[in-house]
Amino acid sequence: MHGTADQTQLAAPPAVKRRLLRVLGTSITLLPPVREQARADLGFDIEFTQLDFLDCQRQAAMEPQGYDVYEQCFHNLDIVWFWGALQPIDIARIPEWDNISDLVKLGGVSKYAGRGRGDAPVKKLYIQPGGFLGSKPSRHISMLPTVHNMDSFGFDARVFGASPEVRPSWAWLLDRRAKGRIALVDEPAIGFFDAALAAEASGELEFADIGNMTIDEINALMKLLERKRLDGYFCASWRDGDEAAALAEQGKVAIQSMWSPVYGKLRRARPHFVEAVPVEGYRAWHGGASLSHHLRGAQLDMAYEYLNWWLSGFAGAVMARQGYYISNPTRARDFLAPDEWAYWYDGAAATRDLPGPTGEVAVAAGSRRAGGPYTDRARQIVIWNTVMDEYNYAARAWDRFVRRLQEGVEA
Amino acid sequence: MIRAANPLAQEPRYDLIARVLRDNIRSGALPAGFVLLEGPIATVMQTSRVPVQTALRQLLDEGLIHRFDGRGYLVGEGAADAAPIRRDIRELDLSIPPLVDDALQTRGTWRHVYDEVEEEVASCQIFGEFRIVETELAEHLGVSRTVVRDVLARLQERGLIRKNAASHWIAGPLTARTVSEKFELRGIVEPVALRLAAPHIRYAEVEALLERIGSDAAISPQELGEGLLEHCIAQAPNTALVEMIRSNRLLLSAVDRALIRLGLPRDEDTIEQYQTLFDLIARHPIDSACEYLRDHLSITARRHLARMKIVAVIPEGGAFAAYLSPQ
Repeated sequence: MHGTADQTQLAAPPAVKRRLLRVLGTSITLLPPVREQARADLGFDIEFTQLDFLDCQRQAAMEPQGYDVYEQCFHNLDIVWFWGALQPIDIARIPEWDNISDLVKLGGVSKYAGRGRGDAPVKKLYIQPGGFLGSKPSRHISMLPTVHNMDSFGFDARVFGASPEVRPSWAWLLDRRAKGRIALVDEPAIGFFDAALAAEASGELEFADIGNMTIDEINALMKLLERKRLDGYFCASWRDGDEAAALAEQGKVAIQSMWSPVYGKLRRARPHFVEAVPVEGYRAWHGGASLSHHLRGAQLDMAYEYLNWWLSGFAGAVMARQGYYISNPTRARDFLAPDEWAYWYDGAAATRDLPGPTGEVAVAAGSRRAGGPYTDRARQIVIWNTVMDEYNYAARAWDRFVRRLQEGVEA
Repeated sequence: MIRAANPLAQEPRYDLIARVLRDNIRSGALPAGFVLLEGPIATVMQTSRVPVQTALRQLLDEGLIHRFDGRGYLVGEGAADAAPIRRDIRELDLSIPPLVDDALQTRGTWRHVYDEVEEEVASCQIFGEFRIVETELAEHLGVSRTVVRDVLARLQERGLIRKNAASHWIAGPLTARTVSEKFELRGIVEPVALRLAAPHIRYAEVEALLERIGSDAAISPQELGEGLLEHCIAQAPNTALVEMIRSNRLLLSAVDRALIRLGLPRDEDTIEQYQTLFDLIARHPIDSACEYLRDHLSITARRHLARMKIVAVIPEGGAFAAYLSPQ
């Protein structure tokens, strides 16, 4: 044993630890091509932890030491923000800030476009005195707006018809023609509103504010759903896009909640299972990226680099290929072929088969995006995915409904 | 008056039972090899089995009794291979000191168990709706059903439980509407009470709290909220008003504590607000403090509503007292 180290010997070559950024999020944005490109462009390692919506929120709120960047949606930001897990983002450090769309900064794509009920992202964007979130512009924001979309439902055109006179309505989610072949997405801030829109559109119920329902209104909606369940209207609920695709492919559903990337996954069902442009308008959502409260110094700088990278075009192009829009489309346009841009953003017919996010064909030549160009679709937002005041109550009631549906409980 | 003079009245029931058994083992009244069964001991001590179980586990840990191939425990260390002595413990002449006996009886009054039950019943409500079964509560507390009925009556009186159509006792669910209403009520009555209290406020205590905010990094918003109530608002010379304020705060404080148990981090913004508020109370016209209190309460209400939403993403189960059944 040597008492002291021999100073003449060279030390072992230092193991340079590659810098690492840890991202917590959902399947919406945590796509392998995004990670690979970000690693190559940024020169540090990126680790993705992908969870479902609810687990992701819980982990983000309660274990902020476990991640650096949190990628989720504005509508469920309350839960994580008010648990003190995040830190403000300084827009002075976001060079693309001025190019971010008015949909998120002002609440609508134009002055006259509808704002939509519920958790519009603008209501959660800016940090207000006292640490609250609100729409009054300030230098600090809670979440950097990135990907978003306007959702509707998908339906079997052989059941509901496909002629131009057919006007799809959310009411179809409770329609007798689809009895026994209806599925809803099992997420209390999303599927719950598909059901609520259906209840209002069909004239069964009316809510004073569908974006912030009262206990009585929630009870009425759950009672209606339970009645329809007992009458055999629903066949399933689903939690991720693959399950939704399987239900459509197997012909189990005639109508169901849908997410845009699922259409790209359809094969046999593709010709007849189509995306609705509901007469009532869309249910929209907006995602983004936030900073964990523990970040300081070099680690914080890395997180800002990653956030800015998100707005530099590549990620926006990958998102476009699964049907999602980015908050600063002009940069994404540089990374899309002109015919891709024309299809996804302008609503033009596809001039060839177009690729999805991982290269497989997602859009057949000749087809058009339902609802047309971006601004047309964005003007038709009636509600945003929302975590309303009575969310605890609604989420529990929704869970009970889904459990009964899955277990086939009889009256 | 309850018999609070008995110094043992605040000791856990299982400790009292363990004490009696221990003394009787040491004196030889309970001989080595004697079979100890929960049921008969509970009868002798006039309690339920739950505290007896705990007491026996304690004696087992102390090595005073041991397990054997039968029901119950044997007195002694277990080295001796004496045959088990099976006799009814009631036939033995156990010594139960009057003070212990008295303390065990005193347990019969509802006041001794009430606070624990109130905390459990209040804080479960953010997790939904729960049914309380009288017999299970009696078993849990080790008290008679008469005592349980007194406890339930008090809980009902304080607005924490109600009877449903099937005549079952129900707690919760705590909704955002209830929380908003309670904060709205606070905003109406607490500033008024603070103004009435002005001449009676314990200013030295307020200064002490201000001092601590500056020096004690561990001070919590809950402590400061308690301080505001006790040293300021509750000094209002109107007992009905103060009683109403206390009872209105009950559920809100329980929610606070439940969220802290879930890991809610310390909230600096709220501590800063208390600092401003105490400063206004101590050094400025009371009207400015009353106005500030109103604002503080409306901000706190919004924060509270947002924080409660986290409960929806936490899996339920396991964390509630046994007598609370989720509905």
